[in-house]
Amino acid sequence: MRPDGTRHAEFATLIALVVFTLISLGLGVVANFAAQKRLGFLRKYFLGNRTLGAFAVALTAAVMSGGTFMGFPSLVYKFGWVVALWIASYMVAPLTVLGVLGKRIGQLSRRTGAITLPDLLRERYGSPALGLLTSSLVIFFLTCNLVAQFKAGGVIMKYILPSESVNLFVSENTPATADMGYYLGLAIFTATVVAYTTYGGFLAAVWTDVFQSIIMAVGVVILFPLAWHASGGLEHATSVGMKMVGPGFAFGPGAGRAFHPIGLAISFFFMWAITGMGQPSTMVRLMAFRDSKTLRYSILYLSIYNIIIYIPLIFIFVAARSILPHLAKSDDVMPQLVLTLANPYVAGLILAAPYGAVMSTVSGWLLIISSGLVRDLYQRFLRPTASEREIARASYAATVAIGLLVAIVALRPPEFLQLIVVFASSGMAAAFLVPALMGCFWRRATARGALAAMVSGAVVTLALYVVGTALARSGFDQGIGPPPSKDSPFGAYYLLGFDPCVWGLVASLAAGVLGSLLSPPPDPARVSLLFDVQGADAPAPATIDLHPELGQALE
Amino acid sequence: MSHPPDPVYRHARREAAIILLVWLASTVYSCIYSYLFGYIRTGRPLGPADVHPILGMPSWVFWGIMVPWAICTVFTFWFAGWYMADDDLGSDHAAELETDIREGGLS
Repeated sequence: MRPDGTRHAEFATLIALVVFTLISLGLGVVANFAAQKRLGFLRKYFLGNRTLGAFAVALTAAVMSGGTFMGFPSLVYKFGWVVALWIASYMVAPLTVLGVLGKRIGQLSRRTGAITLPDLLRERYGSPALGLLTSSLVIFFLTCNLVAQFKAGGVIMKYILPSESVNLFVSENTPATADMGYYLGLAIFTATVVAYTTYGGFLAAVWTDVFQSIIMAVGVVILFPLAWHASGGLEHATSVGMKMVGPGFAFGPGAGRAFHPIGLAISFFFMWAITGMGQPSTMVRLMAFRDSKTLRYSILYLSIYNIIIYIPLIFIFVAARSILPHLAKSDDVMPQLVLTLANPYVAGLILAAPYGAVMSTVSGWLLIISSGLVRDLYQRFLRPTASEREIARASYAATVAIGLLVAIVALRPPEFLQLIVVFASSGMAAAFLVPALMGCFWRRATARGALAAMVSGAVVTLALYVVGTALARSGFDQGIGPPPSKDSPFGAYYLLGFDPCVWGLVASLAAGVLGSLLSPPPDPARVSLLFDVQGADAPAPATIDLHPELGQALE
Repeated sequence: MSHPPDPVYRHARREAAIILLVWLASTVYSCIYSYLFGYIRTGRPLGPADVHPILGMPSWVFWGIMVPWAICTVFTFWFAGWYMADDDLGSDHAAELETDIREGGLS
């Protein structure tokens, strides 16, 4: 126990996590060997040759991240039962996230030959500008998100590292304010995740994702009865919470402040169930699954998995309020609860769950960013004739460079992990969902409409976060949502009480429809190729761009 | 030469419409129920006596979130297990696109 009352892990906890990390690294090595048997570096490195099975699609599309195991528990601990409504759209998320776009994205990515999201949108609409803009936005938003994930990884490792190992790096010249435990944790996390992702590529990310998702479920299942028992039951924990922070602990809009008024409650049914459809990481999975039967089963598995993970997490961290009533930082509640309740070896396993969530998220996102840089910028715009070997080297270098850059930014991380996750998720959904939906289901959709939708969605979301941040910096509190922090005044502006994701999606939809209707109709040959029955010898859209005479037969 | 609409496109469109209707129904029900029975608002203060715990959780959480969650899960099993069509997604043109990128160069 530290002087401030927080607990530090024992050596046994570290051993459990080291074993976990070694298995992840081993999966990276095995994935690399498995992928060597297949042709086409980019397709295998960034998409696993479209061979994902149902279990892999479900567990890797579970939308779990550092936010799930660090930010979400923090919100439940702080604001109480209303956070159950905050997450409630996960009841339909398996259907919406995988079922709405799944089949069509799977089909269009095959027909166009796309292996990345920018590839897909560029080929669907026949617009290099759209591909470039998609790449740029993916890189921007995912980098923001990665900073939050790296912070989560560093924080967890900080609690697991023995004090002695941290003290080895402390000297007389170390500033008193330097958090050496966090820096060391961040360094170990970065080295691990960058190594296995770079070496193993997409298959490594997916296999470690599956392994880590199983560990997460085991962690939650172990923690649930421990927390239940230690708290004296949910009813007692609720009662204690109400005595400590007021009746808002049991009711909306939340304890202490209007964290989740009804406008935000409606917004968050858009947030997880609808914005989840527009995440690049989800769409890449939808390009990588094996067949439509795989898609159906993955929806079933994800539905079961969400029940195993999210409902117990709500119960566990309501219970935490009576087990750890006076935590200084609510973001620490997950590691602190585990270290309080479990014996060191079990704690190691359970702490591996959030660590695994963060690692698996980071590995997938690193690959999406590096694929954007290599395929959509380097190969498309700089070196179209680059050899496979050159592309492979560029891919490895991009993955390492991005990992290191994000780690440097995460040395001074912002607070409220979950808010950053929400910001980046909203921005990506507002930018990509409408172009993807229109591309899948609307024949009249045009490249200009898709560009208008993408720009409008991203700009509106960003603008609302810029306004929210400016208000927070000036000391103005809107009174709803998470409270502004003095250390990190980053926040959203809730126009008319709704989250920016709603306004971003509305703006994107309006701009996409208007932009399409006001621009000339798309090339009928391309539309027919993507919406109509075609023969087995039908060309890809890129081929009719190069050889227009092939398209005449399709009109 | 005109081609009929692709069956994958038709099936996917129908399935997407049904899913979005289910999403809308769950949103409307959960938000309205929770607001009516689980929110402190002007003229409706709530306290410990209003929790009415069911399985340890406040009753509004049980009826407004857990019950629709269970219903949605049952629906998901039916929809994904029996209703969705198994469609052929076609052959992969990734190698063709690679060739096109090389052939097209920087033009």
